[in-house]
Amino acid sequence: MAKIKSVKIKTKPKIAIVSLTSCEGCQFALLDLGEKFLELLEKVEMVDFRLLEDEEDAGEKLSIGIVEGTPLTKDNIKTLKNLRKRSDLLVVLGNCAAMGGVPEIKNYQEGVNTIKHVYKNIQGIENPEVKEVDNFVKVDFTFPGCPITGEEFLKYFPILLEIVKTQDFSRIPEIPDRPVCVECKAKGNRCLLLDNKPCFGPMIQGGCDAVCPTAGMICQGCRGLRPKGNVKAMRATLKNMVSDEEFENITEIFGLRDDIEEREKIN
Amino acid sequence: MQIKINHINKMEGHAGFMASVLDGDVKSAKLEVKEGIRLIEGVLVGRHYKDMPIIAQRICGICPVVHNLTAIKSIEKAMGVQITEETILLRKLLEWGQIIHSHALHLFFLSLADLLNIDNDLKLIKKYPKETKKAIKTREYGMDIVKTIGGRVVHPLTDETGGFKKVPTKDEIKELLIKSEKAIKIAQELGAFFAKFKLPEFERETEYVCLENGKDYSIYDGDIKSSKGLHIPVDKFEKNFNELQRPREIVNRVKADGKTSYMVGAIARVNNHQGKLNVKAEEYLEKFGYKFPDYNPFHNITYQMVEIINAVEESIKILKILEHSQIENALTKNYKVKEGVGVSAVEAPRGTLYYHTDIDDKGYIKNVNIITPTAQALSHLEDDIAKYLPSVMNLSEKKRTQKLRSFIRAYDPCISCAVH
Repeated sequence: MAKIKSVKIKTKPKIAIVSLTSCEGCQFALLDLGEKFLELLEKVEMVDFRLLEDEEDAGEKLSIGIVEGTPLTKDNIKTLKNLRKRSDLLVVLGNCAAMGGVPEIKNYQEGVNTIKHVYKNIQGIENPEVKEVDNFVKVDFTFPGCPITGEEFLKYFPILLEIVKTQDFSRIPEIPDRPVCVECKAKGNRCLLLDNKPCFGPMIQGGCDAVCPTAGMICQGCRGLRPKGNVKAMRATLKNMVSDEEFENITEIFGLRDDIEEREKIN
Repeated sequence: MQIKINHINKMEGHAGFMASVLDGDVKSAKLEVKEGIRLIEGVLVGRHYKDMPIIAQRICGICPVVHNLTAIKSIEKAMGVQITEETILLRKLLEWGQIIHSHALHLFFLSLADLLNIDNDLKLIKKYPKETKKAIKTREYGMDIVKTIGGRVVHPLTDETGGFKKVPTKDEIKELLIKSEKAIKIAQELGAFFAKFKLPEFERETEYVCLENGKDYSIYDGDIKSSKGLHIPVDKFEKNFNELQRPREIVNRVKADGKTSYMVGAIARVNNHQGKLNVKAEEYLEKFGYKFPDYNPFHNITYQMVEIINAVEESIKILKILEHSQIENALTKNYKVKEGVGVSAVEAPRGTLYYHTDIDDKGYIKNVNIITPTAQALSHLEDDIAKYLPSVMNLSEKKRTQKLRSFIRAYDPCISCAVH
């Protein structure tokens, strides 16, 4: 009698990368990984990635839905909610989706009036307040930064793939709570604070390889406050370098201001 | 008959296409922009000038280098900040690097599949593994340049008003020079591969506009010159080319005299100064035997390839000068914050990019106007398609959609830039 072998069917996890309103720089940070990114694509079935294909997305179930950008238009919000519904895991790519990005400056400014600097006819143009992705849907994992760090994606994405393969959702990874300063020091950089440059490194989530301070640029917090980031101590350190107003201005660039206000309410 | 394409993939940003054809007559042909508005110009007003290059470069994830640079140049003009020869060299190198990686992306990953009737790049990659590697290697050379000079590829960090926060070491310059030897060979091989494909026939007479400094294949400076004889300084731009906003539309389009569409980008630059290309780029171009002026917009693809080869050659020239320069002279020196207005332009991969910046005596931005290449090319694209449409009307819907998408992608539009 012939033995019936048990056949293990291996199907690749289905993935989609979707962009809302953004510069699409985070998707390019992925493409810029070159062959490493193509190798990663071998491990998945890419259902939707509009930078690479023309095929219609049939709307099937996804293992991981990846989203970049700010949900600004009604279409954006619909796309986002639909992606959440279809995906086991919803993963956020970059500062716009996670923190509002540079468009969020509008919220702190003249709000709905900022548009008047750009358009003569404002009738019929959607101009809502900028809100981060997690105001609309539950987010399972965030790749922070403006743009994201490609190497960080290569580090955590395989873990996320394992999670959807095993369906063990208790193992969602956390980016360790380390300030930008850890990697900055490891690179042998001279601390910008010593030169009176208002660097946010100590209160900001590391993992970016301290790319900004390494290039002589202060950290402006695009990766967001780290869980134990101490805003009060940071303000005290920067007191002699910038006024409160200047401090606030810097926090607006990457949508950090509302998070700081939130943190200061708690502490 | 209504023709509608809901989404055109494989280009930067979101757009669809809609046209109406009655008894063979094209009544309208319109690119439907489906992007949210980020109001970058609006959010810059009232902010300190130092924030401007950082915020403005985030208009575009493919070409942040040129947004950053044009913003900086307009600030320097407004405040009368002097920069050194070494700063200019590093900036030009950044720009050529940007042109290489942006063009290589468009050529291979966004447009090539169209020439082969393939709907998914992953299939393309499987069919042409060697060429894929060459395209990636070519991109990587451009990216290496941007990373070495700018500190990062997407949203570079070092370039600022007055110069650079940090400059590359001599060793890093030498390393790029070594890489350039391979890069030029690979770029030429990639060029030979692209030369095999026959591009569709189509022509419509038009006007080509780009920068011209009278010396070289101008990408960093110069006056505005057109193929129809227009020659004006950059700061007179807004007098000749008017921004128009149609009701409910979120792209402020630009037309010459508010009426006629014109074309920018690789096709405009090669048309206007093909005599100023470097040797290898010129040799490559000659093989095609194109006659100038060349009014076939599909040739934009060929011209991007010409520019990649030219860019690698140009990068070698600059690197060789930098090898023997005092690169430290590019480090920012003290300058005075002054009130003023500055208009600047550079050649972005997709065409001339303009910034008009008005700064107060404390360094805060009073007003800013940004005019992107795609905002200029959009009306031109629609005029082209209106002429092209009748030739594809008898095809099946699927085939026609494919042809129209290919046409639009040959333009390499950047919708994120157009809306900003």
